[in-house]
Amino acid sequence: MSMVRNSFRDRREGYTDKAVIIRCVRKDQSSVSVKLYYLRNGSARLGFWIQGKEYLLPVGIVLKALVDTNDHEIYENLTSYYGEKYVKEKGAVGSQLVGERAKIILDEVRDLSLFTRFQCLQHIGEHFQPVMDGLRKESYHVVAEAVLRDYICVHLDDNYDKFNLLIFMVQKLFSLIDQTSVPDNPDSLQNQEILLTGHLITVYLKEKLEDWLQKAKKLIQDETDKESKSFDFFSLAHIKKVMDKFPSKQIGASVETMLKTGRLVTQTGLDLQQRAGYTVQAERLNYLRFLSFFRAVHRGASFAGLRTTSVRKLLPESWGFLCPVHTPDGEPCGLLNHMTSNCRVTSYYDSQGKIRDFSKIRMSILSVLIGVGMMPSLPKLVKSGPPAVLSVLLDGRVVGAIPSSEVEKAVAHLRRLKVSAASLIPDDLEVGYVPLSMGGTYPGLYLFTSPPRFVRPVKNISLPLEESQNIELIGPFEQVFMEIRCPDGGDGGRNNAFPATHEEIHPTGMLSVVANLTPYSDHNQSPRNMYQCQMAKQTMGFSLQAIRFRADQKLYHLQTPQTPIVRTSTYTKYNIDEYPTGTNAIVAVLAYTGYDMEDAMILNKSSVDRGLCHGQIYQTETIDLSSESNKSDRGQRMFKRNKDAKSIHSSIDSDGLPYVGQTIHPGEPFCSIYDKTENKWQTNRRKGSEPVIVDYVAVDMKNNKNLLQKANIRFRHTRNPIIGDKFSSRHGQKGVCSQLWPDIDMPFSSVTGMRPDLIINPHAFPSRMTIAMLLESIAAKGGSLRGNFMDATPFAKSVKKANGETKSESKSLVDEFGETLKSYGFNYHGVEVLYSGVYGTELTCEIFIGPVYYQRLRHMVSDKFQVRSTGPTDQITRQPIKGRKRGGGIRFGEMERDAMLAHGAAYLLHDRLHTCSDYHIADVCSLCGSILTTTFIQPQRRAVRAIGGLPPPRAPKKVICHACQSSKGMETVAMPYVFRYLAAELAAMNIKMTLELSNGAAA
Amino acid sequence: MEGMSYQRFPKVKIRELKDDYAKFELRDTDASVANALRRVMIAEVPTVAIDLVEIEVNSSVLNDEFIAHRLGLIPLTSENAMSMRFSRDCDACDGDGQCEYCSVEFHLNAKCRTDQTLDVTSKDLISADHRVTPVDFGDPAAYDGDQQRGIIIVKLRRGQELRLRAIARKGIGKDHAKWSPAATVTFMYEPEIHINDEMMENLTLEEKKAWVESSPTKVFDIDPNTGQVVVVDREAYTYDDEVLKKAEAMGKPGLVEIYAKEDSFIFTVESTGAIKASQLVLNAIEVLKQKLDAVRLSEDTVEADDQFGELGAHMRGG
Repeated sequence: MSMVRNSFRDRREGYTDKAVIIRCVRKDQSSVSVKLYYLRNGSARLGFWIQGKEYLLPVGIVLKALVDTNDHEIYENLTSYYGEKYVKEKGAVGSQLVGERAKIILDEVRDLSLFTRFQCLQHIGEHFQPVMDGLRKESYHVVAEAVLRDYICVHLDDNYDKFNLLIFMVQKLFSLIDQTSVPDNPDSLQNQEILLTGHLITVYLKEKLEDWLQKAKKLIQDETDKESKSFDFFSLAHIKKVMDKFPSKQIGASVETMLKTGRLVTQTGLDLQQRAGYTVQAERLNYLRFLSFFRAVHRGASFAGLRTTSVRKLLPESWGFLCPVHTPDGEPCGLLNHMTSNCRVTSYYDSQGKIRDFSKIRMSILSVLIGVGMMPSLPKLVKSGPPAVLSVLLDGRVVGAIPSSEVEKAVAHLRRLKVSAASLIPDDLEVGYVPLSMGGTYPGLYLFTSPPRFVRPVKNISLPLEESQNIELIGPFEQVFMEIRCPDGGDGGRNNAFPATHEEIHPTGMLSVVANLTPYSDHNQSPRNMYQCQMAKQTMGFSLQAIRFRADQKLYHLQTPQTPIVRTSTYTKYNIDEYPTGTNAIVAVLAYTGYDMEDAMILNKSSVDRGLCHGQIYQTETIDLSSESNKSDRGQRMFKRNKDAKSIHSSIDSDGLPYVGQTIHPGEPFCSIYDKTENKWQTNRRKGSEPVIVDYVAVDMKNNKNLLQKANIRFRHTRNPIIGDKFSSRHGQKGVCSQLWPDIDMPFSSVTGMRPDLIINPHAFPSRMTIAMLLESIAAKGGSLRGNFMDATPFAKSVKKANGETKSESKSLVDEFGETLKSYGFNYHGVEVLYSGVYGTELTCEIFIGPVYYQRLRHMVSDKFQVRSTGPTDQITRQPIKGRKRGGGIRFGEMERDAMLAHGAAYLLHDRLHTCSDYHIADVCSLCGSILTTTFIQPQRRAVRAIGGLPPPRAPKKVICHACQSSKGMETVAMPYVFRYLAAELAAMNIKMTLELSNGAAA
Repeated sequence: MEGMSYQRFPKVKIRELKDDYAKFELRDTDASVANALRRVMIAEVPTVAIDLVEIEVNSSVLNDEFIAHRLGLIPLTSENAMSMRFSRDCDACDGDGQCEYCSVEFHLNAKCRTDQTLDVTSKDLISADHRVTPVDFGDPAAYDGDQQRGIIIVKLRRGQELRLRAIARKGIGKDHAKWSPAATVTFMYEPEIHINDEMMENLTLEEKKAWVESSPTKVFDIDPNTGQVVVVDREAYTYDDEVLKKAEAMGKPGLVEIYAKEDSFIFTVESTGAIKASQLVLNAIEVLKQKLDAVRLSEDTVEADDQFGELGAHMRGG
């Protein structure tokens, strides 16, 4: 990949901002990147990283060190792609400067007086010996071989291949300099692969293993080197003894910590851009959320901090692979993407689930290529460059060149073989044919078979094959240069110049699973679909089928879910009915009383009574006695009920655990623990502010066969809709319930007698333009009248029918539904005449009413409300503490204060900031003005004992100023306690604060 | 104004009467009375419904509250609900709701012993009082031997068990929808439709047809013999103004005139089965009367002053 980056200039003096980068991946997915920098004098430097440090070598030396060659051969190779006759032709990438540059490269080597391969190797070895671990004592020659093997183009085993690849890279670099090709975009999906979890763990494990082996080797070596001890290398016992110092368990432990914390503890960096944040917890809030975690692709944490937005851009290259809709808004927007529903990732396994033999695959591809006219590159043939022939790269290896007249035929042939089941060519081979162009992308035929690439299926229509057999998997690299048309029958502006060779299967293939579930999403304003993708993931729904047997920390569960009347084909395809997320509510769009202003909504209380949106939260508490206590008194603590404490018998069973089905109020005990050693009883009490029901008690006897040490207690919070709960339709239209109204107050239809379940405000529509929600309402109304589900697959209109006809265009969606409604005696537009439930009179306006699938979001007031009159205060400042959990207050900040001042509500302000906060009466010495030197004088305790039964008489308060040694001039002043604290803090800094007291009248 | 009477004598004419369905006309009154009747029928006619559930064993897949909620929503025959007492003001049992005057006890005992899923239905609820039982929806004629046709409460798999005691109490729909005896109560204003025959005659048959079809409901039709537009079912008119709009679009405003009669209403009542639809209407009138009596009594008595204080004085024009 050629890149232009300013930072390259800062490497060292003389460097330009241009370089060619290749990320070389070994078989085990560990990778090493190699950069080829261009220098201002026309030469190039090869940069690679060893132990977290970049080393730069002139290319000439590397080229010479790789194979036995001479200057002439290198010169010929480097300049081969420049031919004078092609200069002005389309697709020429060389220029006459190439020769000059090649000379400079060779001169550099000669100036170091390195002429032969051996000399070059010596030179490299000499420089790299200090950094190569374990090769300190080897000869320079061996060190150099190791450097070339382990750090330069590691995906290739053969030095000739490395040589050819470097030549290719230099050519590409020069072409970038000469502006005969454009730099590649590293942000584009075209040049990207995914880091899969399995591969990350493999790479990490490999490094940990290598570390361990190296250390073990050192340990044993140290041991053998010690002459004093009798260490026998062949004795298993001796080896074991040494190895015990450094157990292999550490490797497993380090992988475990990596999975737990998401942090890589590594020296080399593993050629990865970030060290932390590799793991996220997959929450099971609902199934869609759970599923999305496994379809998410993050661009990398390092980009999150970037100020530029270029990495977040939605580029056309990602079409069909990443969903344009399903990305969060806000901070991770565009960085956290989700794969489309069709998209998959290649792996070591083929479609039959067998492990692939890549060398075999490559061999067969090679033979196919030679069959179609490729000249293999191994013999030292004199080559020519792009306009005449195109280089063929197979998994980063230059395998040959193919005449540009033949290449299109070859590509078509390869694609045919890809699709056919019989051939050895894998179905996910990427045939990246970059055609010749005037200063476009560097041309060539790039073939990839390697794992973590995106692929997606499209129809290959250039092949005369059966429908089901022409599905070809394509990758993002090749897609850019392919002609794929939409199945709407149009040609997408190709005008016969570039006939389409492929066709999309269905337009919805560009959306992720979650985005695909939004009905008629093609009728919505695009951000609304994004909001829906987010909200779908926070709805309460059926998160699990086996909820009874689970011990998740927290689970949300909807009691009465329904299947949506209006649904997309994806809904059926992925069986979302197994995990439904909402309810079909009858929604009336009207401004009834004002309680539905600003995205508030009115729920029908009677509907709620009947079970609308009922739900519960399951919360599990794990009590593990063995982990709480230290190892020594294991088994000394147990679950047991105190026979004498009768008060807890109502809530705790004889085994010390709660009864199933028991309601437990906040502060009540739910389990009782007995400590044998200290003979103490302890009860665990419920925290929180609402009563819970014990749903399930599971005992875990796994670790201790005889004694119960661990119990999971699952609590159930009932969460039926109340005022303040959040709901949303499937169109990014969320709202908060503002009133629960009885049935009789809701407007009703005189024909059917229907009362809406839910009222929303019409103002929710004009600015948001969620037409799909209106469509859903009408469609669902028609569907429920007719008694069938309605298909709401987006872009359904742009798909050609199987018989070749498109749907009659004249009939719009609305017309279709309108006709249905009319045939059932309803208004064409989905409106109905409603009557006021309170007065029984006709509402002046016809009301739009129909069933809409509503989701209950997990944000509920019961988890959020915060009230306090008095409560815990901070120790130092005596102000109310913060935090809802601890019963703290809500901050009344500076801006709130400003608002109060602006209203002139001085008394209120005083009340909030003083009386209700840290009201304090301080004694001030008016003589010296200090509030710190005053102290209470304890009145002498009277010898006579107070008469029994009577409270002791109040001693008169006496305060004295320490500084003045008198109690004269003592005054009491009301002030915030922090003021006294301030005075104390200032005093600690040797600043005295003096108060000047005066009478209000006198002032 | 003093002494002037608004007294009217509303008339009721029953059109159709089934156990769970009634349709009647209410004439010579206004919307306030009609709507009050509707509101009372939905929310204030008392019925009996399960209100308290004591679960002994529940190993089914549904949790206790869910089952309790489902039990509550089962309609119970409440013919005698009017004569029952609210458990909150029952003298016989200090309000704990377990006496013969204010509550009915139910038992449910089901365990699945086979591999076949067992449906626990409302039929499994054993009532202590034969007058209060779960409503039977089965059509006796089509009753099919062993097939249970009650309302499913929960399904049990082998080994699962549900055992509970439930107490049904009297209540009204205002407190909880489960006590509402009405599935639907709605009324419509009786429409009055005048076709301007003169203008209608000037229309071609085609135009007439288009006009007739513009109404989604079948209000008008064309007499096949005379070709005249006739009103077939004026009550099918939904006040959607479609025909008026159509007439205007045809350039013939005033082709038809439709008014709502302000003083006559057509009621449709659907009962849940707890009370017969006819009884529901009668009970509603009874409840309404009681409410009015309560207002009249409180107006006459001195307590009204204490009860409403300043507001009372204000209401009396003070």
